[in-house]
Amino acid sequence: MKTAYCFDLDGTVTSQEILPLIAEKTGVAEEIALLTNLTIKGVIPFESSFKLRVKLLSSVPVSIVRDIASSVKLQNKLRRFIRDNRRNSYVVTGNLDVWIESLARRIGCHVFSSQALCEGDSLAGIANILDKRDAIRSLRQRYDRIVAVGDGMNDAPMLEEADVAIAYGGVHPPVETLVKIAGFVTYHEDGLCNILSTL
Amino acid sequence: MQYPKHAIVSCAGLGTRLGLDIPKCLLEIHGRTIIDRQLELLKNIEDVRVVVGFKEQLVIEHVRTVRPDVVFVRNPDYARTSNTYSLWLGSRFIKKPYVILDGDLIVNPRHFSAFLRQAASSKRSIVGITRIKTEDAVFVQLNAQKQVVAFERHSSSFAEWCGIAYLAGITIEAKGDFVYRQISPYLPLPAFEFDCYEVDTPQDLDLANLKAQTICL
Repeated sequence: MKTAYCFDLDGTVTSQEILPLIAEKTGVAEEIALLTNLTIKGVIPFESSFKLRVKLLSSVPVSIVRDIASSVKLQNKLRRFIRDNRRNSYVVTGNLDVWIESLARRIGCHVFSSQALCEGDSLAGIANILDKRDAIRSLRQRYDRIVAVGDGMNDAPMLEEADVAIAYGGVHPPVETLVKIAGFVTYHEDGLCNILSTL
Repeated sequence: MQYPKHAIVSCAGLGTRLGLDIPKCLLEIHGRTIIDRQLELLKNIEDVRVVVGFKEQLVIEHVRTVRPDVVFVRNPDYARTSNTYSLWLGSRFIKKPYVILDGDLIVNPRHFSAFLRQAASSKRSIVGITRIKTEDAVFVQLNAQKQVVAFERHSSSFAEWCGIAYLAGITIEAKGDFVYRQISPYLPLPAFEFDCYEVDTPQDLDLANLKAQTICL
């Protein structure tokens, strides 16, 4: 059986949220933190919140954001699992391609992300915001089984679409809605890797 | 010692016969919850999966403070499905031998350690039995080698199936009604006798409280 492993990025593969980290280093921490929390809880839809957050960070050169993002801490055991299964592992993130380019290389697997519009080193806008459900659907034909792991409201379409849905609370507890559509719930990287290694 | 790698605890049920509005695994027996006692028994097992259903959030919040790396397996259909279905969900995908444990049992820790030692060196499944004490016992017939040769609803046997087993090469099916019926085709199998108490009725709860003082110190 051919299995695809799909992971949310922020707070799932990374042990820190990326946008707040960028915000902290660029002086808009409070604003970004508020938007991030409201998004995780599902108070503001991911798309609106992401647009606002991108707007707040758009004055920062893309290369600087990319460097900050690439230094984010990762969940080491999970990263090893992804490395060992890199051909069938996918990071599925709403984050922008130009921001997470270096980070994606560090993780070393396929990536589905939102796409930015750039003018030189400046961010001009968003070309496309990823619908995580579409990402999973695009893998259907190539795989017998799809496993999805996430923590926030914007992971709900991905978990709904997957065959094995895992709500993961490694960084913060998964939102309640996500727990309700998951088959497995775990709050620890060891637990997550225990599930993944038996699949 | 090489411990079994996986253990599944089924804590999804309503526990209607006890009539308390709380999952049975969260009941305090002589000052300590059943699940806390069980997690202590399973402390050397790497992958512990707890099947949750009735008041799942209560169980999850409690268990993860005691053992953070537990994997919770959700059974949203807990009110309409059997314990076997919960164990099927919990053991799905696991290929190596595993321990199963009903979430309403108080078990003598020394016996459980000895059981894990026996499981560690066994290539065969092991069936947990106990001296008869429940109202609707599933009796076990033993042969001279102390192997379980049959499960029966009516018998003069001294022992009953207790809801603990080490399963090697036995897959639990989703549609099965009782776990012991799924073990039946593989008999005879070695038995392990536990001093353990199932909390199913208010009388069981009294007995468990009394016995916990002596067996769980």
